[in-house]
Amino acid sequence: MNSAAIPTPVEDIHGDGRWMSMHQRFVGQVKEKEPEILFIGDSLISQMALTDLWQKMFVPLHCLNFGIDEDRTENVLWRISNGELECISPKVIILLVGTNNYDNSAEEISEAILAIVDVVQGKQPQSQLIVMGIPPRGENPNRVRDKIEKLNSLLKLKLEKLDQVTFLQVDTSMFVNSSDGTIDPSDMYDYLHFTTKGYQKLTEPLLDEINNLLMSFERTDSMDAPDDL
Amino acid sequence: MGLSQRQREELHKAIASYFHENGLLESLEAFQKETNMQELDNEKKFTGLLEKKWISVLRLQKKVMDLENRLSEAEKEMTGGLPTKEKRQPAEWIPRPPFLYSLTGHRAPITRVIFHPVYSVIVSASEDATIKIWDYDSGRCERTLKGHTDAVQDIAFDPQGKILASCSADLSIKLWDFVGHECIRTLHGHEHNVSSVAFMPRGDMLISASRDKTIKMWQLDTGHNVFTYFGHTDWVRMVRISDDGSMLASCSSDQTVRIWVVGQKGCKSELRDHQHVVECVAWAPSVSNPSISEGAALSSDKNGRYVASGSRDKLIKIWDVNSGACVITLVGHDNWVRGIVFHPGGRYLLSACDDKTLRVWLLKSKMNIKTLDAHTHFCTSLDFHPSNPFIATGSVDETVKVWECR
Repeated sequence: MNSAAIPTPVEDIHGDGRWMSMHQRFVGQVKEKEPEILFIGDSLISQMALTDLWQKMFVPLHCLNFGIDEDRTENVLWRISNGELECISPKVIILLVGTNNYDNSAEEISEAILAIVDVVQGKQPQSQLIVMGIPPRGENPNRVRDKIEKLNSLLKLKLEKLDQVTFLQVDTSMFVNSSDGTIDPSDMYDYLHFTTKGYQKLTEPLLDEINNLLMSFERTDSMDAPDDL
Repeated sequence: MGLSQRQREELHKAIASYFHENGLLESLEAFQKETNMQELDNEKKFTGLLEKKWISVLRLQKKVMDLENRLSEAEKEMTGGLPTKEKRQPAEWIPRPPFLYSLTGHRAPITRVIFHPVYSVIVSASEDATIKIWDYDSGRCERTLKGHTDAVQDIAFDPQGKILASCSADLSIKLWDFVGHECIRTLHGHEHNVSSVAFMPRGDMLISASRDKTIKMWQLDTGHNVFTYFGHTDWVRMVRISDDGSMLASCSSDQTVRIWVVGQKGCKSELRDHQHVVECVAWAPSVSNPSISEGAALSSDKNGRYVASGSRDKLIKIWDVNSGACVITLVGHDNWVRGIVFHPGGRYLLSACDDKTLRVWLLKSKMNIKTLDAHTHFCTSLDFHPSNPFIATGSVDETVKVWECR
């Protein structure tokens, strides 16, 4: 069995119930809020909401951020199958998860992400889905980076065939020094999580893609209303 | 810059205290030696003094910059070539920066602000489930009405201002005695979030709109639901009653504005041109008719009835209720339009938007003649005082702002 693709809630090892509290908060939010853009994923998603960039560029688009630190694919799969995608109808959904599945192979993680895509499309058929490639991690070249590279090429292959899904490749050369292969702490302060500068690089192509998709929405909307012509 | 002897001594003591507190003992020793300081002054006064000065300078700098910004806005207004305050007619009054008051106290986004028809108070509703009453002469919060258990979505006064109605995501409508400030009745009947309430001009009936797709009419003295309007196919966002009480205008997530004749089943007309959720509607007062006719390039119609609507498609539209046609479209906002209100003088329309601005539109030219950067987050609601030159705006930034019109 592929553990990465079996919906699983996080075990509350600290005993403070934070993960479940956040999940329940998100389930409450979908009943009241009307997001046009929804972010789902791990800390790389949740920490984005702490930046000025988020306030300036994403908040005006009516976004919700359902990122939880340390989440793995199976946790996201459990969350979206248990209430986080009800009631709302966002135009664009952004998914970034997988870097925490340290004990799964690239194949397993790619299958798990495909399972997530499947659930998202089942519950939100009108949405455009952007799956973000997993960014490189670790100061120096290492085996996790190799696995991530393989995972990203698997994702590219599998997702390209799907309708309403965009795979947004992370341009590794933006973060990895071409001469010695190192990652600069000014981009990723702990060689995994992004600084504001790192997020700027990561989100620039993402914002472009979101705007493209929103514009295509407006075009199809007006085509649906022939009365206007 | 020269310091007095006493100031210099104090600064030395503060520096020494800083060294001491931070364990920089070698520096402290050297410093004491060089300044001939006898021993470390253990007076409380000097502990943390340096840090405090450090922080307060930054805070004051920020304050100075803030004030300078407001001053330059005010100066721009003065030199903008506009007629002076005294020469301007009340019909030409429009809001101008800087704001008069920023009222803080709510702990969640503001959903609606309204003026009392008689007293100089503003009432605000919030997602924090409370309603607050503010004295806009003093800028103070006078009272908080608690009772709802979820976000309060809309509030309305009866024509005399004796009863306040509120509706909430907790599915209920509450009536508050505005003299004793107590909840006198709770109305149940909607099956989902109640998004809007309005009083009939005679003050005997209340209208409500809900996410359950219906509009309901309630008798005030009995609390009975006497009529339900069906027709919208999605969440009804707002309902407003014409001045003579004969018609209702409603708007919905189904992207339509609908006109209903009071007491009649089915809607009179369905106004369809918006491309997204329609957030708000407002009936045009009859004094606006000449301006609207001019803006729409139509011959003036004394019996014309017009309704304006604001939508998430960023547009404001004005509709001829008799023909059902959209006669004016106002383009300029850059996000969801959340609130619209006609100027009592008839020449202007004002709007609040998620682009954080408050805008003034000249109806006859359809131009956006004034834009105020009103809030630091989505601007969700606005109201114009019926007779005094004041405007109130509410925002997701949890503040209510009062603007003077000049």
